[in-house]
Amino acid sequence: MRIVAVDPDACVACRDCEYACAFRQSGDFARSASHIRVNFYADERACVPLTCMHCEDAWCLAVCPAAAIDRDPGTGAVTIDATRCAGCKMCLLACPYGNIHFNAETGVSAKCDLCGGDPMCVRACISGALRYVDAEELADLRREVVDASLKRLLRLSKGVR
Amino acid sequence: MQTGPEIRHSLCRMCDDRCGIDVHLEDGRIVDILGNKEHPWNRGRLCVKARAAVDMIYHPDRVLTPLKRTADGWEQIPLDQALDEIAGRLADVRDRYGARSIGVWKGEAIGFGQQETVARRFAHALGSPNYLSNDSMCYVGRYMGFTLVDGAWPIPDLENARCIVLWGANPPYAHPNMTQYITAARRKGATLVVVDPRMSAIARRADIHAQVRPGTDGALAWGLVRQFVEMDAYDKDFVEDHTIGFAKVVDYARTFTPEMVEAETGLPAATVKAMARMMADAAPRMAAYVGNGLEHHENGVGNIRAIAMIDGLLGALDREGGTLFKEPAPLRDLTLYDEMPLRHLSPLGTDRFPVLYDMRQECHTMTAMEAILSDEPYPLRALVMTGANPASTNPNSPKVLEALRSLDLLVVRDLFMTETTAVADYVLPAASFLERTELHAHAKHQIVSLTDKVVSWSDVQGEYDFWHDLAVRLGIGEYFPWEDETALNRWLLEPTGLSLETLEAHREGVEYSPPRVGRRRQAGFDTPSGKVEFASAYLKDLGYDELPVYHRPAYRREPDAARPFVLMTGARKLLYLHSRFRNIPRFRTAIPGPEVEMHPDDAAALGVADGDTIRLTSPIGAVDLPVKVVAENEILPGNLQVTHGWREANVNLVTHDDRFDPVSGFPLMKSIEVSVQKV
Repeated sequence: MRIVAVDPDACVACRDCEYACAFRQSGDFARSASHIRVNFYADERACVPLTCMHCEDAWCLAVCPAAAIDRDPGTGAVTIDATRCAGCKMCLLACPYGNIHFNAETGVSAKCDLCGGDPMCVRACISGALRYVDAEELADLRREVVDASLKRLLRLSKGVR
Repeated sequence: MQTGPEIRHSLCRMCDDRCGIDVHLEDGRIVDILGNKEHPWNRGRLCVKARAAVDMIYHPDRVLTPLKRTADGWEQIPLDQALDEIAGRLADVRDRYGARSIGVWKGEAIGFGQQETVARRFAHALGSPNYLSNDSMCYVGRYMGFTLVDGAWPIPDLENARCIVLWGANPPYAHPNMTQYITAARRKGATLVVVDPRMSAIARRADIHAQVRPGTDGALAWGLVRQFVEMDAYDKDFVEDHTIGFAKVVDYARTFTPEMVEAETGLPAATVKAMARMMADAAPRMAAYVGNGLEHHENGVGNIRAIAMIDGLLGALDREGGTLFKEPAPLRDLTLYDEMPLRHLSPLGTDRFPVLYDMRQECHTMTAMEAILSDEPYPLRALVMTGANPASTNPNSPKVLEALRSLDLLVVRDLFMTETTAVADYVLPAASFLERTELHAHAKHQIVSLTDKVVSWSDVQGEYDFWHDLAVRLGIGEYFPWEDETALNRWLLEPTGLSLETLEAHREGVEYSPPRVGRRRQAGFDTPSGKVEFASAYLKDLGYDELPVYHRPAYRREPDAARPFVLMTGARKLLYLHSRFRNIPRFRTAIPGPEVEMHPDDAAALGVADGDTIRLTSPIGAVDLPVKVVAENEILPGNLQVTHGWREANVNLVTHDDRFDPVSGFPLMKSIEVSVQKV
């Protein structure tokens, strides 16, 4: 299955992805409505984009007493059926990454559904930090980032000329 | 109008990057806009501005009928009546004061392409040399700086670079999809240096964030030059074969020791050395890009020229991974500068800023305001502008308003009512980028594309139709023989050998010639000497510095004790472009209003916190703004930043329309001395 892979080393915390997701969820640009969150830590100059990984063994899915959480057969996305959700918030507690949100207005939980297979966050990611890729590709992508970091370090440590 | 679901392809013009877009329609109405995956520039990705064009196009406040100012306010009038009356009043001005008392002005609010040349053609056909635009406040300073050195503004080959250096540029907000290319290079191990007084979005990813004091970039550039010479790291063959002025450069650079650079810029000497090593190590695959941050200073062009020299010194010019010289699309030229030169009519600002007219055939907008108010050197009595909002975006807004108000005739074509339409005599509805069809050349990929007219409104004219109809009424219709914009596009395209039909079938663009690397090294550079000009005889003859001599910013040279803060203005925000888009509700949700960015130490010393209002006062005026305290490393102590374009707090109340870069004529807008009071 394909997931939204995040690369903090490329993210600039521009928030295009948050606005794109918020717009899909709510028709507005309030960050609170977005399922993808980008945290920026100025002191560390760190940008941390985080969104649902659609775990193979999804604790949110397992814990849901209303059986409102299921896996989409087409995309493999772990999705919430808002009409079944009882608003008990067990899934929020179960998710180790904080990727499920509770919508106080509707009284139900909400999360990334991969936009049915064309995630808007990826379409709006102008740095390329977000990529919609096969899970099998993840290791290669990660290695590419690590290799690049090592190349930079090695070059800089050579004490050029 | 079409019915049913449909996707049309075009280019986004919400900023100037011209990303490929898929426009989704239902029953002839645009319902969504997504990135075109076939387009070589954005490859399917798109910032959220583009998608929100839907909101702009169907905005309830769109101007969709011609408006005439009357004693009782705005009156809606038919388009023909508006054009008849405007032509009549322009003819009166022409008869009374001469054609040069009429100016045309293009802005960016509708996204400009070939329409600029239609406006230029109209002015010359009418007999006026006075073409004005926003370019004389953005872009031209860099165009000049690089062209003076390299004969063109070359394009950095970011994705193939081993080191990328951004000077006063923040691509994620200003050229969003350029960020993809930086990421691609970094994923191959490239290093990134960002020179910026603020920690911009892209600086968050920098290996070195060179946080220099505003306007001191030239000192850093000279310091790097000195290091390259000291390290023996410059490209001797390139310097020998392709440059002039190297001995003078070496001589002048001598005093720019890392310690001297530290004293001037605030950047530690060790960082200057590290930056030089990083760039030299990557050479010749060192790609630099300069942003608007360097233009709005009294030493802008000099600083940019100094930076441009580095490409030549490191042998990065005309080389993969360095900078590339692209061939322009062989489109026909619509302007009449060759057929009907009008320089003898003294285009406004030419005497003081001759290079601006020489290189760009631009008049100086600040000088135009003086001319309107003083009738010197001659009267400027009428202006016709499209998509321009100088009452918000030019420096010293009150004076701009006073000048525009005193015109005999001001005609503004725009999508919305603006600060400038508030003093217009006529407001005409302009066509947005999805309401007209035009040709665009993407130099980076050497492709030409044709945009699609997806929406039409009955009284909304495209640029060509407007200038054509006005020209016919003024007796200069012979210069506008094309039936409509499509006929014009066909004529413009002819020399490429491509047909409009081909472009219609490939909206993502068609290559007009294959990019070639090394052509300039072979054929010579497009400068007066044919070499890369570290020293410019052209500038020397005009009385300017031959070398890009470093001039300290005024706030460093002779600081004004009464105005201890240095204000930068105009840093781009993701969702806004100059004075545009403040009326898009979803943007307001995300970025609700103006603010002044301040260092925590300054906030503590002033006793202010987030949201407190302070007053900034310069010799020009004052403006009140809420404070935004940023992180310690996001701005330097003593510096402030305010983004322009907010009606509720217009920072151009304090910007200078009386202090300029001597070469480009760009106003001082990014190192303004101000005092700060808590309100």
